[in-house]
Amino acid sequence: MKISRRDVLIGGAASLAAVSACARAQQSNEIVIGALYPLSGANAAGGVDARHTLETAADVINTSMDLDLPLAKSAGLAGLGGAKVTVLYADHQSDPQKGRAEAERLITQKRVAALIGAYQSSVAASVSQTAERYAIPFMAAEVSSPSLHRRGLKFFFRAAAHDEMFSKAMFDFFDLLRKKGKKIETLSLFHEDTIFGTDSAMTQIKLAGERGYKITADIKYRANSPSLTAEVQQLKAAHADVLMPSSYTTDGILLVKTMAELGYKPQAIVAQAAGFSEDSLYGAVGDKVEGLISRSSFSLDLAAKRPSVGKVNELFKARSGKDLNDYTSREFMALLILADGIDRAKSTDGDKIRQALAATNLPGERTIMPWKQVKFDETGQNNDADPVLLQYVKGKFVTIFPVQAAVAEPIWPMNPATPGKMGQTAS
Amino acid sequence: MTAETILQSLLSGLLTGLMYALIAVGLSLIFGLMDVVNFAHGEFLMAAMYATLGLTLVLAIDPILSAPLIAALMFAFGALVYAGIIRFAMRARTNVGMVQIFSTFGLAILMRGLAQFFFTPDYRSIQHAWTSGRTFSVGGVYLPLPQIVGALVSAAAFGGLFLLIKRTDFGKALEATREDAGAVALVGINRNRVFMLGWGLGSALVGLAGAVMAMFFYIYPDVGASFALIAYVTVALGGFGSVFGALAAGVIVGLVEAITAMLVPPSLKSVGIYAVYLAVVFFRPRGLFGSM
Repeated sequence: MKISRRDVLIGGAASLAAVSACARAQQSNEIVIGALYPLSGANAAGGVDARHTLETAADVINTSMDLDLPLAKSAGLAGLGGAKVTVLYADHQSDPQKGRAEAERLITQKRVAALIGAYQSSVAASVSQTAERYAIPFMAAEVSSPSLHRRGLKFFFRAAAHDEMFSKAMFDFFDLLRKKGKKIETLSLFHEDTIFGTDSAMTQIKLAGERGYKITADIKYRANSPSLTAEVQQLKAAHADVLMPSSYTTDGILLVKTMAELGYKPQAIVAQAAGFSEDSLYGAVGDKVEGLISRSSFSLDLAAKRPSVGKVNELFKARSGKDLNDYTSREFMALLILADGIDRAKSTDGDKIRQALAATNLPGERTIMPWKQVKFDETGQNNDADPVLLQYVKGKFVTIFPVQAAVAEPIWPMNPATPGKMGQTAS
Repeated sequence: MTAETILQSLLSGLLTGLMYALIAVGLSLIFGLMDVVNFAHGEFLMAAMYATLGLTLVLAIDPILSAPLIAALMFAFGALVYAGIIRFAMRARTNVGMVQIFSTFGLAILMRGLAQFFFTPDYRSIQHAWTSGRTFSVGGVYLPLPQIVGALVSAAAFGGLFLLIKRTDFGKALEATREDAGAVALVGINRNRVFMLGWGLGSALVGLAGAVMAMFFYIYPDVGASFALIAYVTVALGGFGSVFGALAAGVIVGLVEAITAMLVPPSLKSVGIYAVYLAVVFFRPRGLFGSM
């Protein structure tokens, strides 16, 4: 048989048509929420996980489940006659400009009731501006830059902690260790060059100054670099007591690999989550970071106290094959809290949803997080989202801080100091 | 800054530079041969890395052993891309350049999409290779074995390439076709065949780079993007179509990157590369070793 070019093209076109035909069938009684995530490009792994999470959350909302979470027991939104929540996904490819354009398209053409997103703080910044212009609520799910809620936006909400709260927890932890007689004097910062990394580093520099820690290296690097050799060398030369990275997954993997190659073993790593809470990082380099500490909004240890945590994790795992982590847990709660607001607003009008969200008063026990409660202040930030610190021990994360949530004593330092042996000079 | 740090930076830059050169030379070869820029070059690299990973996972073949196999596979793939796409793109009667750009660009997006569909966007890496985790340390300077092997493979590949071009009939046909694609037909050289072999050779080289890189870099559908950008600068810097230019420019890019990172904040380290490139454009627009 001879296959001509034309046959190949017809075959391709036919299979494309088949894929798009079964893609979506719209229903009438549904509330549409737009989700903006990087579904392709360097951070697609995070976007695809977010999609699994939001689908899990939509299942919890749309079907009746025996979980002590908002909207779980009813099927659909009771306040809107049992309407179902549908999430519509848009791919921003980690680009703030594409995020803005996609947000505009979802609002004007797809008539979404609210937006949720956006994995990166830089994209959340442009998306929330667009939402504000159209008076549509934006629920920041897992983005953590503190500057986001300080722009005077009325339609911006964030139930989870921001990086100041996370960094504060880290420094509280250092203070505690110091009291116990551990030597922590110097810190190295290693952060990427978008809003997430720079905000995180700024906060850490401020806190270090206030509490008397010395920053020996502050290294800002270009995200998705093909090589981090020069950066790691500077970290190695600084040889601080603690290395504090704020990196997404790709750079996190490369950082750990390069550190191993250049023989740099920091005494401790305390990470601003992001890449360091992603399974794929531990799949790639987990053996090299035994004892790493990362901040988190979430801890699976909580399942022992709260049955809903374990059940939601099972639902998510069935869909994605992964356990819930710092990112996906926040995404899950964000959709629940947003849908709860729409349910109480009994309307899809942006202003009414905004008012209902502003009146949110959800006790921590009715979430899957270690939070005290969910209550938004006038900037749309929830200040009661207490973070935890997790340590990576024998292939698992265990909660080590704060003391009331801890299930294990911290192992400190993760790599005992070996001066001389590695030929390190503290220059 | 100690002498140790400077030496470490320069040696790391050299090793990285040889990798950049190996990634770029295939691109340069194809361009020199037929004036087609392959915008899917980074995706060829990505495909080779996934193929290496696949051989490691399924057949437990170490990347060093599978490298020649990957190069052979990529040779076939490159020849196929020429026969199936580029050959037709070159037949366009108007806007040939645009058609070529968009056909390889389209191929890039297709390959990325397919990789994401079949392999998911998760980041992978090869956990256990013979070379992994081994590092030589000489007087405080660390040289990781995977990168040393990579640099040696790169040097060997360039050596082989010089011999191939200077000493074989195929090399002469390649040179001749590059000089005047119309005239070679008169002396009985099949232009199409040379182009196809050229694409195969160019892809095999980037395949070799991918196999070696898989030893020490993470693998995901977009991994080619940042390397492709460096490959374009390397080719432009060294001179379009020049094999030696690609080697020299790759090393220059690696060293300039390392030196820039010593002098300015590392987030600006690629600035040095582009500054050097712009300077070269200013004084010598055809690139350092370009003959056009």
